[in-house]
Amino acid sequence: MIDEPDADEEVPSDASAPPNRQLLSPDILDIEPVYEALGHSRRRYLCYTLFEDTEWSLTDLATKVAAWENDVPDHAVTEDQREDVYVSLYHAHVPKLVDEGVITYDETTGKITAAEHAEQVLTALEGIGASLDANQESHARSDMDEQ
Amino acid sequence: MSNKSDDGIMDEDDPIGSAETHWSQVVQRHYEPDGHGDLTTAIVYAIAAAEGVSPSEIKSPPLYECLDVPAIENAFFGSGVSEGSRQGTGTVEFHYTDYLVQIRSDGWIQVYEPSEPEQV
Repeated sequence: MIDEPDADEEVPSDASAPPNRQLLSPDILDIEPVYEALGHSRRRYLCYTLFEDTEWSLTDLATKVAAWENDVPDHAVTEDQREDVYVSLYHAHVPKLVDEGVITYDETTGKITAAEHAEQVLTALEGIGASLDANQESHARSDMDEQ
Repeated sequence: MSNKSDDGIMDEDDPIGSAETHWSQVVQRHYEPDGHGDLTTAIVYAIAAAEGVSPSEIKSPPLYECLDVPAIENAFFGSGVSEGSRQGTGTVEFHYTDYLVQIRSDGWIQVYEPSEPEQV
């Protein structure tokens, strides 16, 4: 076998570069499914639910998305709100995520499970979440300082 | 059939490109880009009304497999589309099961079904 092709691509350590940043590989520019998957709030929500071990049915997910969007508890979601979200998930967002290889959808059971690109998407989502949390923390801190 | 258009200038002509089949409009529904619900939902609700079933019973095929709804949303109702360019009316039509569905850039979604040939 030949040498590992990226053996010589190792980034030389540069004292002036900020730490962490140099660890990112240009491969992140190629991960189309991540951007496609995360390009709509309802798809982000679907991906977010993959963090949990539970296998959700599409009806459960429609309820959860509707609750989240209308800012009410799950049990307060009306039938109309659920149906609205269900239709949009079934006809647009679920097939899109299936197409991108992020989830699989079992038509007969109505269950959604993670597929081969889920890992990448979840990692990106975690990264976004971490930076959001950091922002909110510094916001909170400056609010505290002002008081 | 009553015409619920706000401006009263809806025409009832048969859709273009369907010379052999006669189509009659069964449902029309207005899509509000800034309102509640997305374009996918509005189209499925219109088809469900034509079929006389609840929208969640419209299953096969998923609309995603029939047409690129985000592209239409963007072309007709996107933020880059100025009021002025909406004066002209663009139309996209596609077949969904037995229906012919038209989406107009003025927001009207119209569902047609093939009309019974007249018995002589």
